Amino acid sequence: MEKILLRNIENPDSADINEYIKAGGYKALLKALEFKPADIVGEVRKSGIRGRGGAGFPTGMKWAFASADPKKPRYILCNADEGEPGTFKDRPILEKNPHLLIEGMIISGYALEAEYGYIYLRGEYPAAKGILNAAVEQAYEKGYLGDNILGKGVRLHLSVHQGAGAYICGEETALIESLEGKRGQPRIKPPFPVNEGFLSKPTVINNVETLANIPYIIEIGADAYAAIGSPDCPGPKLFSVSGHVKRPGVYELPMGVSLRDIIYNHSGGILDDKKLKAVIPGGISTPILPADAIDCPMDFVNMPKHGSMLGSGAVMVFDETVDLVKICYRAIKFFEHESCGKCTPCREGVGWMRAILERISGGSGTAGDIDLLIEVSNNITGKTFCPLGDGAAMTAQNFIKHFRNEFEKKINNGSVKRAA
Amino acid sequence: MITVTINRKKINLEKPVTILKAARMAGIEIPTLCNHEMLEPFGGCRLCLVEIEKMPRLQTSCTQYVTDGMVVWTETEKVVEARKAMLEFLLINHALDCPYCDKAGECDLQDVTAKYGPATGRFAEGKRRHPESFDDPIIVRNMERCISCTRCVRMCSKVQGAYAISMVNRSSKTFVEPFSGGRYDCEYCGNCLTVCPVGAIMSRMHRHTYRPWQIEKEADTVCSFCGVGCSMVLQVRGNSIVRAVPRETGGSNKGLLCNRGRFGYDYVVSSGRLDSPMIKRDGKFRRASWSEAFTYIAGRLKKIKEDSGGNSIAGIVSGRCTNEDGYVFQKFMRAVLGSNNIDSVASFGYAQAQRFFEGIFGQGVTANSMRGIPNSDGVFVVGGDPTAVNPVLGLQIRAAAGKGVPVTAVGYMPGLKIFAANRPMPKPFTETALLSAMVTELRNIKGISGKGLFDKLIKDIPPVSLGEAEEVCGVPSKDIRSAVDALSRMTNPSIVIGMDIIRRTEGQANLLLLAALVSLLNSRIYLLSELPNEQGLTDMGCLPDMLPGGRHLTVESFRRRYEEFFGVDIPSSPGMGIMEMIEAAHDKKIKALYVMGEDLVYSMPDSAYVKAALSKLDFLVMHDIFMTETAGLADVVIPSLSWSEKEGSYTNLERRMQIVRKAVEGKGMEEWRAVSEISRLLGFNMDYKSSGDVIAEIAKVSPLHKDITYEDMTGECMWPYKGEPLRHGISLEDIEMPDKGSLLKRPEKDRIYIGVDKPLFHFETLSRNSEALSSIAPEPYMNVGKALAGRLFLAEGDSANVSTAAGSLKLSVRVDPDIPDNSVMVPDNFGDKGVYAIMQWKVNSALKAPVTDAEGVTIKKMKHAAEEVAV
Repeated sequence: MEKILLRNIENPDSADINEYIKAGGYKALLKALEFKPADIVGEVRKSGIRGRGGAGFPTGMKWAFASADPKKPRYILCNADEGEPGTFKDRPILEKNPHLLIEGMIISGYALEAEYGYIYLRGEYPAAKGILNAAVEQAYEKGYLGDNILGKGVRLHLSVHQGAGAYICGEETALIESLEGKRGQPRIKPPFPVNEGFLSKPTVINNVETLANIPYIIEIGADAYAAIGSPDCPGPKLFSVSGHVKRPGVYELPMGVSLRDIIYNHSGGILDDKKLKAVIPGGISTPILPADAIDCPMDFVNMPKHGSMLGSGAVMVFDETVDLVKICYRAIKFFEHESCGKCTPCREGVGWMRAILERISGGSGTAGDIDLLIEVSNNITGKTFCPLGDGAAMTAQNFIKHFRNEFEKKINNGSVKRAA
Repeated sequence: MITVTINRKKINLEKPVTILKAARMAGIEIPTLCNHEMLEPFGGCRLCLVEIEKMPRLQTSCTQYVTDGMVVWTETEKVVEARKAMLEFLLINHALDCPYCDKAGECDLQDVTAKYGPATGRFAEGKRRHPESFDDPIIVRNMERCISCTRCVRMCSKVQGAYAISMVNRSSKTFVEPFSGGRYDCEYCGNCLTVCPVGAIMSRMHRHTYRPWQIEKEADTVCSFCGVGCSMVLQVRGNSIVRAVPRETGGSNKGLLCNRGRFGYDYVVSSGRLDSPMIKRDGKFRRASWSEAFTYIAGRLKKIKEDSGGNSIAGIVSGRCTNEDGYVFQKFMRAVLGSNNIDSVASFGYAQAQRFFEGIFGQGVTANSMRGIPNSDGVFVVGGDPTAVNPVLGLQIRAAAGKGVPVTAVGYMPGLKIFAANRPMPKPFTETALLSAMVTELRNIKGISGKGLFDKLIKDIPPVSLGEAEEVCGVPSKDIRSAVDALSRMTNPSIVIGMDIIRRTEGQANLLLLAALVSLLNSRIYLLSELPNEQGLTDMGCLPDMLPGGRHLTVESFRRRYEEFFGVDIPSSPGMGIMEMIEAAHDKKIKALYVMGEDLVYSMPDSAYVKAALSKLDFLVMHDIFMTETAGLADVVIPSLSWSEKEGSYTNLERRMQIVRKAVEGKGMEEWRAVSEISRLLGFNMDYKSSGDVIAEIAKVSPLHKDITYEDMTGECMWPYKGEPLRHGISLEDIEMPDKGSLLKRPEKDRIYIGVDKPLFHFETLSRNSEALSSIAPEPYMNVGKALAGRLFLAEGDSANVSTAAGSLKLSVRVDPDIPDNSVMVPDNFGDKGVYAIMQWKVNSALKAPVTDAEGVTIKKMKHAAEEVAV
């Protein structure tokens, strides 16, 4: 497949605006400026693209909601707070192809009649910060940003804001709070950001990868774009593959590619040709799949039918040697550390889960611990303020669902050791 | 119409509310912890989860709004289990030290756990540890009890606007901390204490002294610290006040208090309280019986009246006295002693301002509900920081700003710094120039018909251009212009006026300019009132020319009414005001002064002058709760009751009448009772058994207070009550038109001016007796601007001498960049270390008010003790 999102990234100077233009960049913007803003919204809607951040919400619909709100000014925010463990798909765009993102944001800004845009970059991407800032500066110099873009009377100002290292700020309302200078915690919805977002004004927040798709949609048209990948969930998708594979990395593949294909074909199979034990297909919050469940099409529509979710497309591969109880403990420890503290079940419950898992993993678990863990996680599920707590609970639930025997073994071994 | 069904109960609603509100309206209980009436919904504790048909997940009823046809269940198994789960979660890291915790018995977490929680918990790990913090003198923080509901943080930021505290850290390590670290650097309003549902933040003032169920009595009363008159409850155990808490509904404060009201009450148990009448003979006080003291006072007053006439006797009443005290006192002065020489500190500006505006716009023009401020479309503030003088009124201005209402704050107002959209900072005491330019501009924009009497007057105000004003006051023309533009767009603004703008050489011009603004903008007026009953005293006729009910003494029909009622004649010409009395005492024109509770030496400029004047009197009677500097000069001192020890009523700056109730027994006597006793000894029968008898008489004789009873004062008792207000015709004869020169008076070159600072943490000189307030702000200080500090090589914490011709003070230095250059601000609350100790006596003869704007000072940095030794 032709590379769209990762186009030209082998070029060591790919982040430079001249290289980007040489490779055909900013043409989509020129084309877009010929259209009316509403037509672009319509085109994006028609393309069927779903947001690449993890929830898979139809991007065009989000745009249409914001466009329908008369309040001004509107804001376009890029969610570059790529913090889901296992996920590094946006990083090549941010570091190697920043102008694709910027072009996507300019087109989005024009479509939404937004005059201000912000890229909310995760705190742990220091290299990307410098690259993005340089790219934004170049875009201003070339007249792609500013008060009168390419002399067409279109206005967009763009700046890069670096987060301080909080997973929760990837949640869009927490991101807005953080951008406003407040403590990063999710807001009550409704009102949704499309109506009352940044500074209480209509705001569209899109993932880096989503925005990077926009120029291509404009370039080839919605119909051609919709023909790529899965019918209900089209377009190219970036998968960040990590763990026990021969060739870990970021792969650009059509939506709907099978998980097996990603692991065994594109990533070269399991490291040292060991046996596969389990895969987390879309970042740590998505349900773990056992080795025999990897014949599933990787897209937002089909993955739930196969017991998991596409999430961010972060494929984490575990071979037969992996201690999954430890993985589960480590995952929950992450969620505890990142719980913003706003709501009771997540703040207190996830810490409790971590404590139980710490016991089991450390060999001092007792017979009732697995059931207690399930009960505690059930008491979190569906009762939290935002999906973070749910994600933690579901992670543990699915680990136990598929690999309960490993948990039991740990507890039994531990009690045998203690008895001896 | 929206119909929602909760637990089979149909509820009809006019407009959408949250499920929680709808349920409460229908008497259905849903437990909550993070929700609070005074705060926006938060949705954090998850205790109020309910089941909604057609919605897969449980929803928080505090955030979910009802829709038509919605069916809600609050007691299904799923909901009950979820609640139990949330409470189990909340308790895993909660200290559960209820036997030791002061909150036990009124703890929301304890209550909901008892009712909805699981009987046992399954958490086997160690709880979070977080040592209790005693870094602050007033507030103790115990973060092991905190349940992260964030009610305190939301109160502090969204309602109080102090932004002093924040949630810190994440996950179960979350806790609340002041930005300043251990000790709070905040406004000490304590409103966080009101909303904390557990024992995480508590007052140290009553730590471990009682349990909530041991409270023996609750007195529903009003605060005695300023003219807002917040309604509050004094909780009593064993004849001592253990705590002051706000009443959640009613009053003007709606559940809010400030630091003074919440913590300052402890002055009543201060060790210096007087407990017996004292008579001074041969320069020495000795204790006397009540009857001995009264007989002595009656005898001396009788003699002076016989020898020198009633006009040689004068009376001053404190703004902390009740309406009943004020009424009886003015009756005593007029009917018994035959003197109209009666006044109060309300005449340090408040009474004059009110009279001025009423003269133009009619009686009651300043009687506006504070809650109107956030509903106006613009706020203009001048003459003092409302958030310090009248803190809870100040919160209304912050609330307005929070709603996006543009606030213009003229001059040094630290409490509005982050809330005001426009902050013109005139040079010291040059607001007159600024106001003149604003009136000139607005007059052009709005146009004047010139038909009305006052319109004619506005037309005659000499025009002052923006440039001329800028040259004098230093505020850039464009800033004045933008303030004017903002004002001119308003249709319903509020103008908030502090007394500092009136205590000026150009006080009357300022009043005229403000009245012009009011007229041009069609705005409401709010007068800041520094004392709890300034308004009440003016309404009770404690003025040299006014009778109770706002009736002019010189109008014969009014006077007749009172003469008939009292059964004696009242002198027909107005008496002396408070400033004239002091001067008359100096000139030996008055022989006797009767003072009820006012520490004159330190509550007006030039302590030495006032002291000398009082020393020249033949006879000085003093009622007070402490042996103040002024009381020390008296011949007889009668111990008073503090506001918490007596019954009566106050009228606040909105002209709302409210009841003061007795919480504890005191050793003094109500002023009205003592005065009636003396009156009887002088042959004039005053037969009041209770304050109720006094108000009954007021209700009979004062047309404004017609038929008023204490029952009326339990609700919204707003002006004009059931009475007959006086709708004046416009009386403009007295208004003197200022000339252009006086509007554009420049500050003297190279002169450093001293101004009166009104700090948030103190109140008159009384608050020095409050241990709590003194622990927050123990030290007198001088506040200087950055540039001046730089020129004088002064840094924060240095000590410096500030001196005038009248004296000098050694004070510690605070540097505040907002203080206008070439000026220094010193508070008036520290007695002989206060600004009045070194300010010279100056009176505005037109307003008969003190002038505090003309004092030049020299400031000298003091060397540190160590350096001095080295030299």
